[in-house]
Amino acid sequence: MPTDLVLTADAVRLGRVAADRAAAIDQCGALLVELGAVEPGYVTAMHEREASVPTFVGEGVAIPHGTDAGRALVKETALAVVQFPDGVDWDGSTVYVAIGIAASGEEHLGVLSSLAGVLTDPEKAARLRSAATPADVIDLLGPDRSG
Amino acid sequence: MSSIQGSDIKRVVVACDAGMGSSVLLTSQLKKSLSPHGVTVEHSAVDRIPDGADVVLCQAGLVARAKARVPDTVVVGFQMFLGDPAFARLEQVIRDGDTLAD
Repeated sequence: MPTDLVLTADAVRLGRVAADRAAAIDQCGALLVELGAVEPGYVTAMHEREASVPTFVGEGVAIPHGTDAGRALVKETALAVVQFPDGVDWDGSTVYVAIGIAASGEEHLGVLSSLAGVLTDPEKAARLRSAATPADVIDLLGPDRSG
Repeated sequence: MSSIQGSDIKRVVVACDAGMGSSVLLTSQLKKSLSPHGVTVEHSAVDRIPDGADVVLCQAGLVARAKARVPDTVVVGFQMFLGDPAFARLEQVIRDGDTLAD
């Protein structure tokens, strides 16, 4: 059983600006590369996936990630949270937080479960969009304490 | 075209292209509403949907690929992750024992 992924401050970037969806995905992808989670080619797979099925999930959040074929370019499971306070047009929706995902296994299920809880709680979702420190983000996406 | 009775739905599979993001997220959400009905929810890549799934949920653009993988299984497409009518319909079918068809 692999160890559950724990979100850390170096995987959270706040107050960023992106001109469009492609630029936002590039930033998420670059952070995944910087974290040592993926080969650079994975970013191309993220764009491919986005072109086939957009990853907007509601409440101003998108979860860009690669295709099934791109899975081979994942070195280790990681998430990269990038916040865009001015919003980014995302195929007609507006995204304020993009969470890049690279997964080789299931280590990130806990964080995504917490995210599911945030997305179904408007107050928490607003806190995520306006988070001022990485600690705020980590607190929201940390272990799901709601049961 | 496939159909299934709500009372026969015990195993729901949420599929997306890679099975690493979207389907994982939705699985977490659906577990909360469907587990009380004795229904298991799991996620999968669309090309690796397990045999034995009673209902497959996937984004509308992936329905054809899911159907190609499991032709005899009910495949329901959705547009939105939050509050898509397809999820409420699935829960209602399971709760009330209606027929779900694709």
